[in-house]
Amino acid sequence: MLRKRHAALRKCLAAIAAASVLLTAACTEKAKDGQVTLTYMTFNTPSLTAEFWAKSIANAQQKVPGLTVKQLVAPNTDRDAYAKQLQASGQFPDLLQSITPAQYTGAGLLQPYDQAWVDANFLLPQGNAIKSKVYIPPTNSQIIPLVFYNKKLFAQAGVAVPKTWSDFLQACATLKGKGITPIELGGNDPFAAGMPLVGAFSADVLGKNPDWIQKRYAGAVKFTDADVVAAATKVRTLVTNGYFEDGALNVSYADSITNFNAGKAAMYPMGSWYLGSVPKDKWEDIGVFPWPTDDGSLVVPFSVGGSMAINAHTKHMAEATAFAQAWSLDPGNLKALIEGDGAFPMLKGKTLADYSVSVSPVFKDSYAFVTEQNKKVYAIAWATNDDSLPGSLNNDFFAAAQGLFNSGDVAAQMAKLDTSWASATK
Amino acid sequence: MSNERATRYTNRLRLLAAAVVILVFVSPIYVTIVNAFKSEDDIRANPAAPPLHPTLANLTTAINRPDELLQAGLRNSLIVVACSIVLLIPLTSIFSLYVSRRRTRARAALLALLAAGLMIPPQVVLLPTIQILTAAGLDHSYPGLILSNVAGGYFSFGVFVYTGFMRSVPDEIIEAARLDGASGLRIWWSIVMPLVRPATATVAIFLSLWIWNDFLNPLFILGPLTGQTITTGLYLSVGQYQTSFGQLFGIMFLAGVIPVAGYLFMQKHFVAGLTQGSSK
Amino acid sequence: MSQRKTQDFGLRTIAGLGLVLYVTFIVVPVFMSLRSSFTDQNPLKSASSFVGLANYREMWQDEELRASVLYTLALAFGVTLAANALGLALALLLNGTGRSYRALRTIAFLPQVVSGIIVGFVWKTILTHDGLLNDVLVSTGVVSAPVDWLGTPGMARLSVGVVVAWVLSGFTTVVYLAALQHIPRELYDSGAIDGAGPVQRFRLITWPMVAPATTISVTISLITVLKLYDIIAVLTAGGPSYATQSTAQYIVKMAFTSDRFGYASAVAMFLLLASAVIALSVTSALRRREIDL
Repeated sequence: MLRKRHAALRKCLAAIAAASVLLTAACTEKAKDGQVTLTYMTFNTPSLTAEFWAKSIANAQQKVPGLTVKQLVAPNTDRDAYAKQLQASGQFPDLLQSITPAQYTGAGLLQPYDQAWVDANFLLPQGNAIKSKVYIPPTNSQIIPLVFYNKKLFAQAGVAVPKTWSDFLQACATLKGKGITPIELGGNDPFAAGMPLVGAFSADVLGKNPDWIQKRYAGAVKFTDADVVAAATKVRTLVTNGYFEDGALNVSYADSITNFNAGKAAMYPMGSWYLGSVPKDKWEDIGVFPWPTDDGSLVVPFSVGGSMAINAHTKHMAEATAFAQAWSLDPGNLKALIEGDGAFPMLKGKTLADYSVSVSPVFKDSYAFVTEQNKKVYAIAWATNDDSLPGSLNNDFFAAAQGLFNSGDVAAQMAKLDTSWASATK
Repeated sequence: MSNERATRYTNRLRLLAAAVVILVFVSPIYVTIVNAFKSEDDIRANPAAPPLHPTLANLTTAINRPDELLQAGLRNSLIVVACSIVLLIPLTSIFSLYVSRRRTRARAALLALLAAGLMIPPQVVLLPTIQILTAAGLDHSYPGLILSNVAGGYFSFGVFVYTGFMRSVPDEIIEAARLDGASGLRIWWSIVMPLVRPATATVAIFLSLWIWNDFLNPLFILGPLTGQTITTGLYLSVGQYQTSFGQLFGIMFLAGVIPVAGYLFMQKHFVAGLTQGSSK
Repeated sequence: MSQRKTQDFGLRTIAGLGLVLYVTFIVVPVFMSLRSSFTDQNPLKSASSFVGLANYREMWQDEELRASVLYTLALAFGVTLAANALGLALALLLNGTGRSYRALRTIAFLPQVVSGIIVGFVWKTILTHDGLLNDVLVSTGVVSAPVDWLGTPGMARLSVGVVVAWVLSGFTTVVYLAALQHIPRELYDSGAIDGAGPVQRFRLITWPMVAPATTISVTISLITVLKLYDIIAVLTAGGPSYATQSTAQYIVKMAFTSDRFGYASAVAMFLLLASAVIALSVTSALRRREIDL
C-alpha cells in the first residue's frame, strides 16, 4: 500500500521535474559573461529610421568597450506612455530617448547628469531642467509648430505671407476661393491634429503669460479662462470655415507629409522636424512663417529637446552615463538629426557650419528664429522642462484638438482638460 | 422533368450566390494575400485584382528586417503555444476526469467557479497577475507567461470541453481497471485519453489558436525585454509609419500564414470540435 | 475506499495543482484588484493609502468613463445582433452538401483564425483616408470624395462595430451551421407538404431548432466584445478624441499610462460586475427560452 503510494508520488515528481527542466532549457536564454548589456528605448519616425538608430548606437557603443545596447522601440510617438507601461510591468529601460522627465522625477526614476558636464557642452544648459537638475542633455531644440507653406501655391493665389491672425484668415479664404486646400493636417495621429491648437495657445496665451503653466500648477488659472477659450475658438473657426483638408482626421501623419510635399495643400503647421522631410527637389518651394498672433508680434513656441535620460536604478551607471554622453556629443548623430529630423543643434561653441550639413533655405530661415533674440515661450504639450504637463495631459490636449473638429462647444472641450488636470495631479 | 432541371438550376444559382457572398465576406483576407505579392503601383492601380506580375519583394523585405520581427515573433509564439498546450492538455483532462467522478454538488460548484475564468475580462486581472509573477520571480519570463496561460481562462475552457466528453466514458471500464489495481494516472493515460481524443483535438486546436493570437498578456507579462510574440511584435514594430501597402500586406501575410495554414490543414477537426461543443 | 484514494493519489495531486493554479491566477487577482480599488495605489508614487470609496465616487462622476461604458454596451449589443443575424444568414446560405459548400464553410471561418492585431492593421489600411476602400470607391465613381471612415466620432464608432462584427461572424456562422445540420430534413419536408412557405418554415422550424446555438453564440459574442482590446487598439487607438474608447481600454490606460492602479482597479471591478450580470442574465434568459421552445 505504502510502496504503491510512494511509487505514484515518485512518478509524479519525476514527471514534473522533467517537464520543468525541459521547459527551462527550451524557454530561457543564456546570459553572456563579461558583457554589459543596456536597454535603450527609442522610437521610429519617417526621419528617425531603424538605420539611423542602428548607426548612431553603433557609433556611441564603440566609445564604451564591452557594451552592448539593446533597443526597445516604442510602438508610436507616445514614448511616455510606453515608458510608463514598461515601468509598471517592472522593465524600466536603462536609457530612454526623449521622454518627459517631469513625469518620472517625482518617483526618483531618473538620474541627473553631471552639471559641470552639461554647463561645459551646451548652449542652454538649463533648457529642459526640472527644478534645476538636468535629466536629458539639451543637445537640440525645436520650434513647435511652425507654419510651412508652398511658395508656388501662394504665388498662384496671389497670397502674401500672413503677419497677423486676420491676415492668416484672409489668406486661407483666398486660397480656398481659388480651389487650393489651405491647410494640411494629418489629424488621424493625435499629435499632428494638435498642432494648430498648440500654435494658437502658445502664441496667444503663453505669448502674453509665459508662466501660464506654472500658474496652472498653482491653480491660479484654468483652461476654461477666456483667453484660452478664445485661442481654441480660433482653431474651431478654421474648422468651421473648412480650411483643413477634407476628412482631416482620417489622414495619417505620414500621409500628410506626402500630401504637403506633393503640393496638395498650401500650408502645413508642424513641428520643425518636418524640415528633415522636405524633398531635395522642393527646397526652393517651401517657406516658413511663425504661427501668427493677433497683433503680428513674434512669439516663438520653443522646446529644448535632447537625447536620452538615464534610469536612476540602472545596474551599470558608469557604462550608461558614458554611452549617453558619447551619443549626445557625437557630431555624426547631430548631423543626421539636423538633416533628417530638422533638429536645431544646441552644442556649445559650434555653429551650423561645424557639422558640415547641407540644409535647405527654409531650415536656415527656421534656425534663425532660434538664434536671434526674440520672445520664446515653451510650446505647450511639448516642453519637457518644468513647463511640461502632468499625467496624460499631453494626450488629452491632442484629443481636445481632435474634439474641436466635431464639437462647437469649445468651452466644454477646455473643461475636459481641467478635469483631466485634476485627475492627473491627484 | 423540367422540375428537376429547375431544381438543378436553382441549386447552381444558390451555390454561385453563396460563393460570391463568401468571397465578399472574406475580401479583407483575400486583399491581404493578393496584395502581398504585388508591387506598390499594381496595388494602387487595382487593389482587388490578383497579382498579374507577382513579386516576392514585399516578403523578402519583411524577412530581411533588421529587427527580425517575423522570425523572432513566430519563434516565440511557437514556444509559448507549444509549452502552454503541453501543460494544459494533461492538466485539464486530469482535472476533468477527477471532477467528473465526484458528487454532483461539488462538481457543479467547481464548474461554476471555473465559468468565471471564461468570462473575466483579462484587463481585470492583468495588474495583480504581474504582481503575483513578480513576487514569484517569474515576471518577464517565458515560464511566467506560460504559467499565466495555463492557469487562466484557457484552463476553464479545457475543463469544460473535457467534462462534456467525460460523460461518454463508461463507468464500467474504469471500475474494471480499478479492480485490477491500476492507479488513477494509469487509467487516465491508457483508457480515458484514447476515448476522449476528439476533446483533446478540440482543446489543442482552439487553445493553440487563441494563445497564438493572444495580445494583452504577452505585451505586459512577457514584455519587450524578453522577447516579442508575433502579435506584440507586429503591434510594437509595424507602428504608424507604414505608408507602403505592399510592405504592410507582406508582413501581415507572413504573420498570418501559419495559423491560416494550420487551420486549413486541421479544418475538419475545427468544425467537428465546434459541432460537438455546441451540441453540449 | 482507501485503496481508491491511494490509486487516485496521482490524479488528486495534479487536479489539486490545477485548482491551485486557477485560484492563484484568477480568483486571487480578482480579490487583489478589489483591495487595490480601495487605495490610491500609484507606481510612480512611493506610498499608497486607503481611500475607502473615493475611487468609486470618482467613477460615478467620470464623464470619460461614462462615455466608454455607453460605447462598450452599444458595441456589445449592436455587434452581437449584427454578428448573429449575419451568422445565421450565412449559415442558411452555406447549408448544403458537397465539396464546394464544405470549401466555402472552411473559408467563412477565416476571420476567426487571424489575430486581432492583423485584423486591425488590415482594416485600417482599407479604411484610412487614402486607403483601399476609398481608392476603389473614388476610382469607380461611387463617391466623389474619399469617405471619412475613421475620422469622425460617429463613423469611427460604426467602423469599429463593422470590423468586430466581421470577426465574430466567422464564429457565429460555424455555430449556426452546426445546429442547422442537426435539423432533420423530414421536418422541412413535412412542413413543405403542409403548405408552409420558406418564411414560415424558417420561423416555425429553423428558428426554434437553432435555439441552443443562439444561446451559445449570443453569450460568447457578448463576452468577446466586452473583453475586446487588440482590434480597437490598432484600428483607432480609442480615437478620434476617445470616441471609440472601450471600458477595457480605459482600464489599461488608467493603469499603465496614468499610473493610477487604484482607480483602474475600481473601474475593473465595475467591468467585471457588468460582464457577469450581462452574461448571466442573457444566458439564463436564452436557456429558459430553449426549454420553452
